Amino acid sequence: MTVASLIFILLGAVATIGAVMTVFARDVTRMAIGLGTFLVAVAGFFVYWGATFLGVAQLFVYVGGVLVLVLFAIMLVHRNPEGSPHLETRHDVSALAVAGGLFIMVVMALRDDVPASVDQGISSGPQELAEAFLGPMLTHFEIGGVLLLAVLVAVVVIVGGEER
Amino acid sequence: MSLLVLTMGLFSLGLYGVLTRRDLVAVLASIEVMLGAATLLLVGLAAAGTPAGPSEGAVEATGVMIIVLAAAEAAIGLALVISVAKRFKTTRVDDLAEVKG
Repeated sequence: MTVASLIFILLGAVATIGAVMTVFARDVTRMAIGLGTFLVAVAGFFVYWGATFLGVAQLFVYVGGVLVLVLFAIMLVHRNPEGSPHLETRHDVSALAVAGGLFIMVVMALRDDVPASVDQGISSGPQELAEAFLGPMLTHFEIGGVLLLAVLVAVVVIVGGEER
Repeated sequence: MSLLVLTMGLFSLGLYGVLTRRDLVAVLASIEVMLGAATLLLVGLAAAGTPAGPSEGAVEATGVMIIVLAAAEAAIGLALVISVAKRFKTTRVDDLAEVKG
């Protein structure tokens, strides 16, 4: 077993443990910790594959932003006087069938198109990223900026709307 | 193959969470897992060097766009959750079945 496949398995195991905790944890704090573990593992994958900027952005935006947002939502919403809140999960056979069926379907459909190993890596750095954003993807870049502005206004309207 | 199995496994886990969780915040967390798995597959395909694909800079830029969209989605979603919690005093999906406002 090579070092590359060992790192892949290790990061994959951490990501899977985080995702399982997110989906199955009964305690809301454990769910947030599981989500954090998953997101950090995904950032680890990005850095390992050479997409360093993407890994850093993942850490900043997801772990530093979205996870804190989720924790704030938990704090604001789950104020339970009887102690730490419990999450209920209905273990549905049909949900398992849908998720498992989708998994089998996509894996069967794409198994010949996805390469077996990820050994080449991404060699592009921030310069190629900037060239892509200011070149062929300039429209995407601008629309992303407008979207974030719209989201900012929308969040203020949604949360603070009733007080006006 | 292992990349596909890993990312699709994570995606299916997230989908299972979306379908079975009863709490709105937990549903949103499961959606984040699905988005993360999809981004992982996209960047993994670029790192595996698929032939005739877009340039690596464009792939990384697409990854950044997905992160931006996910952040926007999380912000709007959690704002809606807080708004719902304020108005209906619950975030259980089953209790929010009534459509009429």
